[in-house]
Amino acid sequence: MVSASLAETVWTALGGVMDPEIPAVSITDMGMVLDVVAEDNDVSVTILPTFTGCPAIDVIVQDVEGAVAAVEGVESVRVKLVYDPPWSTERISPEGRTKLRQSGLAPPAEGPVLVTDIRLPEVAVCPFCGGRDTANENPFGPTPCRAIYYCRSCRNPFEQFKPV
Amino acid sequence: MKEALVSLVTALADDELIIGHRHSEWTGFAPHIEEDVAFSSIAQDEIGHAAAYYSLIAEVTGTSPDHMALGREPFEYRNAVLCERLNRDWSYSLVRHWLYDTADDVRLAALQESADASLAALATKMRREERYHLLHANAWIKRVSEGPVEGRTRLIDALGMCYAEALALFDILEFEDSILENNLLPCSSSELRGRFSMRATSELDDFGLPADVHRDLDDSAEFLASSSGDLIASEKDASSASARPGIGGRAGMHSDEFKALWDEMTSTHRLHPEAQW
Repeated sequence: MVSASLAETVWTALGGVMDPEIPAVSITDMGMVLDVVAEDNDVSVTILPTFTGCPAIDVIVQDVEGAVAAVEGVESVRVKLVYDPPWSTERISPEGRTKLRQSGLAPPAEGPVLVTDIRLPEVAVCPFCGGRDTANENPFGPTPCRAIYYCRSCRNPFEQFKPV
Repeated sequence: MKEALVSLVTALADDELIIGHRHSEWTGFAPHIEEDVAFSSIAQDEIGHAAAYYSLIAEVTGTSPDHMALGREPFEYRNAVLCERLNRDWSYSLVRHWLYDTADDVRLAALQESADASLAALATKMRREERYHLLHANAWIKRVSEGPVEGRTRLIDALGMCYAEALALFDILEFEDSILENNLLPCSSSELRGRFSMRATSELDDFGLPADVHRDLDDSAEFLASSSGDLIASEKDASSASARPGIGGRAGMHSDEFKALWDEMTSTHRLHPEAQW
């Protein structure tokens, strides 16, 4: 029997699973959880990986398994990774965007991401001073999902979560 | 059907794995730190894409992705020879990166229409990431082509070495008839080659780089690597009896440069095949 209330409890628990590379945001803030189905006491969680080559994904799967197994009433948990629909930065929640900014990581520009547009957005807003006079230094950064910018206002380098 | 899917996806995966391996060799050695970061990230993306493709194969055949990546003999790899070439110098690496990622974009656009839903979804996902590779490659080719004459000359030399080998990314695949019958690819490799060639020559025109260096090589059956005796020399090995230098990767014929790469890449796996990562 499908249990909506158990699924809801699992969703709440998933809100406590943090992105291992950005510990300020959870996988639900990031919009990585596509679906939770609880049938009797067996739970299936469907996750959308952010970047295909993201090395954090194995850690995320383990953390999800642990968090769900700890929910009262859960007997088994299965985690599925799917690419359809593709994860996109549009899935990051408003709270997620705020938390990214607070941890010094500029959230991606709002609005749809055009695959045919190979330019980076012209403006990434500095997460430190809110300045818009910023320059892209490198479309790549310390993890597959980040780009490096420089703020001409407060003269700080900062990272941006790249729009995909 | 199954063998057609495995053939197609193996070629895609091997290209990504091998060029990713070469890109990773710039880690710690690129001309400046931003490029160190960029090439390392691109390498990580490409190898991640290879892992996703190998997982797709694993679902169909039951073999493990690690076995696909590291457990095969050199002749079983189906990557194009372009991907396995040594990094040579910075200009060569940039030109190869630009040609490869332009070709990959053409290929991924087609794969988004594949009748195999998993492959189509993966292609859609990857293409969103790959646009950053194109952005990077385009920015560099533009910058160097507009700079002092030495940079331009070196780009043109590198194009002469790479272009015919880039066209070989679209050599006919094993079981291509079945790949097309089952609509795994919506059009033939030679159709894709035409699209790539048209796009690459037009973009080179925009960069002000002389497209005529390679245009006439498109259908040449007697291509000889124009500016690099070493490419020809590396093909003398009887086991890589390819009619044209740098062609034949899709049939498992590789250069000596590949053998050295394979030896290093698979050494740990061969020592400890059961090791878990």
